[in-house]
Amino acid sequence: MNGLPEEQMSPRRDLLKLGALAAGAAAFAGTMTAQQAAAQAPAGSTLRTVLSRGKLIVGTGSTNAPWHFEDEKGQLTGMDITIAQILARGLFDDVSKIEFVRQEPAARIPNLTTGKVDCVIQFMTVSPARAQLVNFSRPYYVEGVALLTSAKGKYKTHKELTDAGSAAKASVLQNVDADTLVKKALPQAQVLQLDTQANVIQALDSGRADAAIIDLSTVGWLVKRNPDKYLDSGFHYETQLYSIAMRQGDLDWLSFVNTTLNVNMHGHQTDLYDKAFQDFFGAAPPRRTPGFPVI
Amino acid sequence: MSDTFAFVVGTLPFLWQGLLMTLFVSLIVVICSLLLGLLVGVAFAYASWWLTLPLRAASDILRGTPLLVVIFSIYYLLPFVGFNLQPLPAFLLALTLFKTAHVGEIARGAIQSIAKGQTDAGKAIGLTFPQRLLYVIFPQAVRRFLPPWINSVTDAVKGSSLISLVGVVDLMLAAQQVIGRTYEPLPIYLLAAAMYFVINYCLSVLSRRLEARYAYIRE
Repeated sequence: MNGLPEEQMSPRRDLLKLGALAAGAAAFAGTMTAQQAAAQAPAGSTLRTVLSRGKLIVGTGSTNAPWHFEDEKGQLTGMDITIAQILARGLFDDVSKIEFVRQEPAARIPNLTTGKVDCVIQFMTVSPARAQLVNFSRPYYVEGVALLTSAKGKYKTHKELTDAGSAAKASVLQNVDADTLVKKALPQAQVLQLDTQANVIQALDSGRADAAIIDLSTVGWLVKRNPDKYLDSGFHYETQLYSIAMRQGDLDWLSFVNTTLNVNMHGHQTDLYDKAFQDFFGAAPPRRTPGFPVI
Repeated sequence: MSDTFAFVVGTLPFLWQGLLMTLFVSLIVVICSLLLGLLVGVAFAYASWWLTLPLRAASDILRGTPLLVVIFSIYYLLPFVGFNLQPLPAFLLALTLFKTAHVGEIARGAIQSIAKGQTDAGKAIGLTFPQRLLYVIFPQAVRRFLPPWINSVTDAVKGSSLISLVGVVDLMLAAQQVIGRTYEPLPIYLLAAAMYFVINYCLSVLSRRLEARYAYIRE
């Protein structure tokens, strides 16, 4: 009558077929292993690839405490490493099934887009420009900027630094926004831009700078371990979100990573996240309360 | 002072694996680029245009391109044509190709500096081409080949530090890892510099001995 084939004119019969299929799939899913379930994911999905491979390949760094660094035994550790372990636990129920690819920050997106890593967990700041190139997970930390000062220095607090005006010098990591970043905290200070975070702090140690403008988490890490050497000036500003980065066009993988982070930050598996938060930032995460979701 | 000394000594085990990687990469690159570079040099000196033309193009491109670009081209561009090499083989390939182009030119210059009459003399006594190369040309060319080649070897050792850009832990990255944990850059950089110096000083001593040996044979 309307030119459609017969099967398209029988929506009720199709619904019955779909219902039977869904019921069968649900019954089957209850007996599937993770690897078997992965075989049901679309071909090319990273989730399927990772489960079939039996290990997760994570791009990260190894030179920035407290995010990713080697401990006294030469093992990678840090908040980023724990986040990777959280993913591995979600995938394999085994935190050790990870291969870490050590990379420079500049290699984060190239290594991802060329398929050398499954995801990047390397204190990667979320920005709309980057989101045009990669998919970001939900944030797992909110970073801030702070002023590290020296216990032996002329200026120890933010007020002393601002009062010093143009006599104060601040070292900061080279960046297109580095000058602006310093001026927000110390409008008149001289800016010393350096190539690595270690050199930014070395400038403070050697007296070339009166304050080092670095991540709040790093200030906390250094002050806690060297209270006689470093001070927190007490001024924190700007926030930035750290997320896991993934290749675009793979919603199964993105959804898995988000779900796993949610469960480990707000659900019933928060042990790893909480311990890392305590170990690397010296604080306990806010207490979760049952009831209305605050995620 | 003793604290600094103890700190430096304590970091040695962390730098050791990186040092071994630096030596391994340097050795592989030096051996492979020497063998390939000699073949390229011989080809430049004797082969037909249809072989030398593509070799010349490749050599000029590699010698005219920064090593960093060669490394990133092989590491990041090859995956787009189906060759997703692991970091170590990708870097070894990149540095070997880069150094082969340089060694090839050094070898060509050394071979072509030998008077044509030497080849004619070899032919006159019935030596085949390989025999002329082995018994007549190479023994004379080696003296001219050695000094620039040793410079090329020391460059390869220093160039191996770029392997950290593709995530392999060599001496340089091992040093940065220790700095990342301790935030004490100065003694670690000095220690790493001393290690690089010891490697290259040994190479310099070796080169002087080799040059002296072949100078004796020639004169």
